[in-house]
Amino acid sequence: MPETGHWKRKDLLGLEELSADEVLHVLDTARGFSEISTRSIKKAPALRGKVVLNLFFEPSTRTKASFSLAAQRLSADLVDIAKEASSTVKGESLVDTGRNLQAMGVDIVVIRHQQAGAPQLLARSLEASVINAGDGTHEHPTQGLLDIFTMREKLGDLRGKKIALVGDITHSRVARSNIWGLRKLGAEVGLVGPRTLVPGSFADLGVNIHYNLDEVIDHYDVFNILRIQLERQQKGLFPSVREYHYLYGIDSTRLRRMKPGVLIMHPGPINRGVEISQEVADGENSVILRQVSNGLAVRMAVMVLVQSAKEAHA
Amino acid sequence: MTESILIQGGHVVDPANSLDQPADVLLEGGKVAAVGKVKADADRVINARGLLVLPGLVDLRTHVGEPGRDSEETIAHAAEVAVHGGFTTIACMPDTDPALDNVAAALYVKRQSERAGYAEVVPVCALTRGRAGRELSEIGQLVEAGAVAFSDEQRAENSPAAILRGMQYASMFDRAVIEYAQDPELAGGAMNAGKECSLAGLPGISPVAEELAISRACMFAREAGAHYHAALLTTRNGMRAVKRARKLKVRVTAEVAAHHLCFADEVVRRRYDTNFKVFPPLRTHDDIKWLKRGLAEGFIDCIVSGHRAVPPQEKELEFGNATFGAVGLETALAAAWEQLVIGNVLSRADFVAKLTINPARILRLQGRKGALAPGHDADVCLFDPNAKINVTPASLHSRTKNSPFMGATLTGRVVATVARGRVFEF
Repeated sequence: MPETGHWKRKDLLGLEELSADEVLHVLDTARGFSEISTRSIKKAPALRGKVVLNLFFEPSTRTKASFSLAAQRLSADLVDIAKEASSTVKGESLVDTGRNLQAMGVDIVVIRHQQAGAPQLLARSLEASVINAGDGTHEHPTQGLLDIFTMREKLGDLRGKKIALVGDITHSRVARSNIWGLRKLGAEVGLVGPRTLVPGSFADLGVNIHYNLDEVIDHYDVFNILRIQLERQQKGLFPSVREYHYLYGIDSTRLRRMKPGVLIMHPGPINRGVEISQEVADGENSVILRQVSNGLAVRMAVMVLVQSAKEAHA
Repeated sequence: MTESILIQGGHVVDPANSLDQPADVLLEGGKVAAVGKVKADADRVINARGLLVLPGLVDLRTHVGEPGRDSEETIAHAAEVAVHGGFTTIACMPDTDPALDNVAAALYVKRQSERAGYAEVVPVCALTRGRAGRELSEIGQLVEAGAVAFSDEQRAENSPAAILRGMQYASMFDRAVIEYAQDPELAGGAMNAGKECSLAGLPGISPVAEELAISRACMFAREAGAHYHAALLTTRNGMRAVKRARKLKVRVTAEVAAHHLCFADEVVRRRYDTNFKVFPPLRTHDDIKWLKRGLAEGFIDCIVSGHRAVPPQEKELEFGNATFGAVGLETALAAAWEQLVIGNVLSRADFVAKLTINPARILRLQGRKGALAPGHDADVCLFDPNAKINVTPASLHSRTKNSPFMGATLTGRVVATVARGRVFEF
């Protein structure tokens, strides 16, 4: 099992509470795992005999597959539970579900939930490790880590690098995890989007806020483009997909005005033709698929670190 | 309860009678008989040396679980919990199931209160039937049945016409209309909108919801010439809306809940602890500063518990799914004392007024409640302002433990309460 260093946490709930050293420690650990994917036998024994539970209360394809593969590559046993999203109090509570599963000997619970703070609630009630795979519009720490991992892979040290997050910041857990992680590593962060979807109070976190994409298009080294959800338009937060694309869509015209070598990122799933055009998504500045590959290594690292911290403590 | 009780050697603070001095209090036949240097013999003598002797506290806002949620809290249980907190009168709100919108319901509250024999529970009845904001309740008959004020609490809809008519109608019977200070459409979130909320990723309750509702209700009160009481102020601009209207001679009074003076919204994000999920939500430190200023300047007339029992199965949940509400009857006095008297915001007398005579006047109970003058109900709170209390699940008498003060230490303890001549020593 790799050296856990000063990683002492049994859970990964968000990037807000991590120090810069902890963020870097996960990323360094992940680098060790990224070469496993290139081997012909893609397995490591780090979690042999351990049980990882995927507890997804929201639909997910890539995050769930990524956690599943990560667990399997670490030789853990994997249990998948998908629960219908429920906003009302019906049947068993989250805490009861968690305690029951723990009684069956689960070591790590990976949770995705539509309610912010659900992983915190679970982590308080369980001895098992809890990894947040996205809670409401709060945080998605492994996505933040894999985004940062990918940026560092291409740009090196992120101190002073300029990273823009474009789109619906208000409802984005990916944005929050990116902001916390990037600020801790000394990057300059800009939020770009319509005023109804960018919380002005985030200026207090030391980030730039822009409502006009074109004014800052050649300022940033990375554009991390967030998915825009159609239901936000129905709630009156922006007028139409067409207007959104006109003001904030990343297409080849805008790409040409960006810095040469700019990185185009997207956490997926992509609405092609809305927040990003086909040719930009598939173009040579895009590292979107690289993000997906790196996600696996980052999630392996997180699983190993939380499990080791728990064992060291016991 | 025909016995006589002498409370001896304490320091009486009774703002209604401008008393803030050492004095004895003699109670006879369930009424106050004398205040001052009392030489008379009594069946029972309570030594109050070192204690503050206050009129029994009056809570303008208790959400009692009965009817509808009797398994969490009955009228009798709330009345018993109240005396532990020094309250001898509690106004129960009509947002029960079914709503307190008819004479039978009002009489039921009175009967359960009498049978229990703890704090007196007086009903605030629904302004409109079913609190739906359409047809008026039978306000005249409800007043005869004991309704002390009228309110629909938080409605699903805005219903401006119903509020205006309700104020006009209720003013015929000299009763205040308590309007909830949150616009229903803007208030549909889980915590205070703003930076903390954005970071927590929870849906926000805009502070404008409060300013809008208060400003609007002040206009109705002006038009109707009615007494409007603003429920649960939490924001700077809500307080200023009350202040503006008061300066224009609108008959508006206002309240603040103790917990809204103690906690800002940042505590929510720290742990997503659902004991901090209250409605209206905890606001910012700046709002708290302005609420204190409103209290000091007299634009906020009273301090309420805002008590609402919520069972653990509705609190041990994701923050967004948990039920709003905090118990407060047992902590309101000490928590507010710490913030306002120890915190040098109010004099002792002004502080006591906001928990006694002021709410009594708003509920039209003056002359019987809220003061220690002869002929008033024998309601007394004996308070040790220096003792510490640790708030733990075991220390709370309330059946549900949903207190934002859980784990905290508060300064000030109720040592004994006399409720209509019945003595409870703790």
